[in-house]
Amino acid sequence: MSLQTHAWLVLAFPLAGTILLGLLRPVLSGKKAGAIGTLAILLAFANGVAAVIKLQELPSESREVVSSLWTYANTGGLDAQLSILIDPLSLLMVLIVAGVSTLIHLYSVAYLASDEGYVRFFAYLNFFVFSMLVLVLAGNFVLLIVGWALVGAASYLLISFWYRRNTATKAGIKAFVINVLGDVGIVLGTILLLGATGSVDFLTVFNEAPQVFNSNDGTLVAACLLLMVGAFAKSAQVPFHTWLPDAMEGPTPVSALIHAATMVTAGVYLIARMHPLFELAPTAQVVGGIIGLLTLLIAATIGLVVTDLKRVIAYSTMSQIGYMIMAVSSGIYVSGLFHLMTHAFFKALLFMAAGSVIGAMAGEQSLNRMGGFRKVMPITYACFIIGGLALSGMPPFSGFFSKDDILLGIGELGGWHWILYVGGYIGALMTAIYTFRMIFRAFHGDPCEEAKSLEAGRLYHAPEHRNPADGTLEDTGVGFPGSKHHIAERSVAMTIAMGVLAFLATTAGVLQIPKISHVMENFLEPTFVGAKHFGVEIDTSLLLFGMGLGTVLGLLGIWIAWTLYVKRPGSAAAIEARFAGAHKLFANKWYFDEAIDFAIVRPFAALGRFGQRTVERVVVDGGITAGPVSLARVSSAAVRSWQSGLLRAYAAAITFGAALVLLYFLLQG
Amino acid sequence: MTLSILIAIPFAAGLLGLPFGGRQAKAVSLVGSLATLIIAGTLAVRYDTALGGAQFTVDKLWIEPIGVHWALAIDGLNLALVALTAFVYFCVVVACLFRDDERPGQFFFHLGFAASAVLGAFLAQDLLLFVLFFDLMLIPFYFLVGQWGDGERIKATTKMVIYTLSGSLLMFAAAAAAGALTASQYGMPVNFLISNLQNHALDHSTQHWVFVCFALAFLVKMPAVPLHGWLRDAYRAMPLPALALFSGVLSKVAAYGFLKLAVPLFPDGAADARTVLLIVALASILYGSALAFTTSDARLVVGYSSIAQLGFILLGIFSLTEAGAQGALMQMVNHGVVTVLLVAIVGMLAARAKGSEDLGSMGAIAMGAPVMAVVFLIAALANLAMPASANFIGEFLILRGTWDSASVFAVLACIGVVMAAVYMLRMYIRSMHGPDENDVEKREMSWREAATVVPAVIVVLALALYPQALLSRSEGATTASILDAANGAMVNPIAPEARK
Repeated sequence: MSLQTHAWLVLAFPLAGTILLGLLRPVLSGKKAGAIGTLAILLAFANGVAAVIKLQELPSESREVVSSLWTYANTGGLDAQLSILIDPLSLLMVLIVAGVSTLIHLYSVAYLASDEGYVRFFAYLNFFVFSMLVLVLAGNFVLLIVGWALVGAASYLLISFWYRRNTATKAGIKAFVINVLGDVGIVLGTILLLGATGSVDFLTVFNEAPQVFNSNDGTLVAACLLLMVGAFAKSAQVPFHTWLPDAMEGPTPVSALIHAATMVTAGVYLIARMHPLFELAPTAQVVGGIIGLLTLLIAATIGLVVTDLKRVIAYSTMSQIGYMIMAVSSGIYVSGLFHLMTHAFFKALLFMAAGSVIGAMAGEQSLNRMGGFRKVMPITYACFIIGGLALSGMPPFSGFFSKDDILLGIGELGGWHWILYVGGYIGALMTAIYTFRMIFRAFHGDPCEEAKSLEAGRLYHAPEHRNPADGTLEDTGVGFPGSKHHIAERSVAMTIAMGVLAFLATTAGVLQIPKISHVMENFLEPTFVGAKHFGVEIDTSLLLFGMGLGTVLGLLGIWIAWTLYVKRPGSAAAIEARFAGAHKLFANKWYFDEAIDFAIVRPFAALGRFGQRTVERVVVDGGITAGPVSLARVSSAAVRSWQSGLLRAYAAAITFGAALVLLYFLLQG
Repeated sequence: MTLSILIAIPFAAGLLGLPFGGRQAKAVSLVGSLATLIIAGTLAVRYDTALGGAQFTVDKLWIEPIGVHWALAIDGLNLALVALTAFVYFCVVVACLFRDDERPGQFFFHLGFAASAVLGAFLAQDLLLFVLFFDLMLIPFYFLVGQWGDGERIKATTKMVIYTLSGSLLMFAAAAAAGALTASQYGMPVNFLISNLQNHALDHSTQHWVFVCFALAFLVKMPAVPLHGWLRDAYRAMPLPALALFSGVLSKVAAYGFLKLAVPLFPDGAADARTVLLIVALASILYGSALAFTTSDARLVVGYSSIAQLGFILLGIFSLTEAGAQGALMQMVNHGVVTVLLVAIVGMLAARAKGSEDLGSMGAIAMGAPVMAVVFLIAALANLAMPASANFIGEFLILRGTWDSASVFAVLACIGVVMAAVYMLRMYIRSMHGPDENDVEKREMSWREAATVVPAVIVVLALALYPQALLSRSEGATTASILDAANGAMVNPIAPEARK
């Protein structure tokens, strides 16, 4: 089969899976739905691998293949084909997305086994993967927007998966609306680019851009900033991030897949994909770098104080994407994408392991209730340690190489970028602290009731089923776990999924080691060959300094966490009391939700209510309508006094007349 | 000849069923609507896009003393709308098959009458003929609301009749004046043929007031803010199938009127009033959306969302660009189809919530109705112009055209795009999702209910996969409509690169 066929099959299998699961829903029993769903994604992944092999057979300069199915919309100066762009960048994303998705599907086969919506879950999950693959394979802006919006819809469906929970539907609509805001940004950016270059096709726009735009051309900067609104909304960068922590309402595999490994990194992909434009718009790059830095620091501070296990990981995701955004906005694309990949591995691993803990806790997610799981769940503990070390950037785990690659690249740039460089290392220290705070609180210390129960060989079941987010009483049909459940490390499917990811999180760093290994760089070369900072010579002293500093800060962070939460358990509370103001700010998530609610949500709701209560009732009914109506009423009353139902008779006469006219023409014509 | 028959069939089917009871009336109307759909579909396929222009023309001098012609034709502009009307009429008849309305013979008669009037208005190539059909549309709805309506139907009817009749009378006077004044200005016999009027432009000052009269009539019918006062009561009172026909196609006649008549015949008037109409469009988008996300009446969410969607259509037309006009035409069709779905869904929701259409009395219906949830989701996402739906392409073109000629309006209209997401999802969540508190019947769609929505779902999905099917046929016609007005308003109707 040709390269193009493989690439289209990558899209076809998840779509077919969605449709098949939807249609067969009433007859699928047991774990068949899980098997179908997983197989569909596995086949997509296999085709992705085949496409990579075919692509590598082509000479380097022609590894950019466009394939079109049909004309989607062509009018009014818009020419959108249903076309995909197959190049190293899109295929790298295909491999990451389909690969991690396969493992997460496998994990879900067991994790959601007792849920009533089992088939629905896999249909949604397949639909999400399809949408995400459309996003990364799109060959023009219109199809990109389609994929971009579809992942938003899929994310909405999965966040609201337990849709009888008010907390879940609220989180879902919040995520959807913020993402629509992002879509609008991309739509307007596309319109600007279309107006200037006359095309929505990626390659045409990229080729035209240097001819049409001077460096830092106003229109181009505006277009890039609008595209960034989309990127920030999807990738949860400030101030568009508030949906991500709430999105943890979704089942844990969803958090692992969408809100850690794949969808939230779409913004990073977008900037990397648009690099010929961003390279011409340095102002937009500066904005991206600063937003990335702000996000990485703000999210890390919140991660230090959040007590919900999944939300700690969510804030760490935000923070890590901050690194990636910083990288791709600074023109260091390969490092950004490398971190995207390793992060997908170790973050998916952490979420899966968290799912295991939540299983043992019977749905409870608060760190305040956990403790001492180390002995009873050794595999989960090992996964947390591997994922945690990779996240903290400790050698030789994958996160060490990818994070240091980013900071090294930024350090090489010099100039104002030193702010990003320093900020990045401060973030690294905080990362190590909050990661191991989470691990120590969940796994060390005195065993909690649930851990003791597990030690005695009984899986804990809560006496009553409650929504962990707001404590409302529920039936077992909603939320995790359902009527019966597993913990990950005692289920084969889940253990395999975690094992593969643990392996990748440990070893994936070898793909790109400065001065030693250049697999990523070589593979992505055809895409980024024209980029300014591609393949820059690396300064050995900076390299060694950075690696050393990263290791020291990581160790320091772990030591701090150890001291605060294991060695002297009371000291954390003392620090909180000492820095009460900062703690309050962090615990309230820097008041972003409140500010957005005050500045945007309330004014629009007020406008609507004012419209309903005042304008519609008083002005429209009272003023505009009442005048003519009362006039008509008075005059018709006068007429009615001698003949009732006049209007009706009149209308009937017209009807009859019209009938005659029509009949006349019918006979005549 | 074919077009005369096309207009006559729905009316004739209704007339034929009039003397009979329910079953026969239903059968006759079903056959009639199917025939209408087949003929309209055949015409749409047989229309020669390469040739373009008016085809299948009928032109007979009808009322000799005042020069009114029985002139009908299909062109790029009305092709899709005629097909839409036939389709919506068919869907509505199918939906009515499963209802037990009182006096079914008369009920179906009025539906057929309405469909004929709409088809006539779309096909008319003579200004007075258009006005005649436009006014005829009101009559069946007068009866449908007044006799089969719920709640305060008399008040609703009176309001609707007064509003739309005032508009219609203004338009009638303006149309008569336009014909007579053109004749005297050019010293020729009175003639209301649209092609004739287009070739003989009225002088500038006359165009102004004639355009204003037409615009008012159309804005009331759409309706646009602030002329929407009749909408709430009329929507609430109307029987659901009538509402589908009303909201699905009647509002499009008004939007079509702008593209077919008001803008091309009175380009100077249109050019001068452009800013006002853009403001009206924007107000409709923002205010309609704000109303839609604060009402808890499912039916009114659909109604207010129509105001907003028609605001987008108006915005596209008065961007006076090719992209905007193309997008507007596309949205007319999309909105018509999606409205049929949404109205049917309101009916299904009410059937499960003990007849209540209040969103507060629903919740968690998806538990027992996964297929219905999927259908509703498709309708909701299409209505909020989700990318991947044809509505998105329409909205994209509208925004694109508006950006080119009136950037500020495009940016502000984007607020409406976001608000659409809020009100549609809110409606979806509050009925299908949420806690199971209200003792709602959570049952799946019945086969009957499915029969009323499946055709519309298929059309929505088909258009989503291949929106170009609509765009290619209308391209020349829409551009011709706005060309003169665009020149008058100093707007470049065609995007620069399209010429490259």
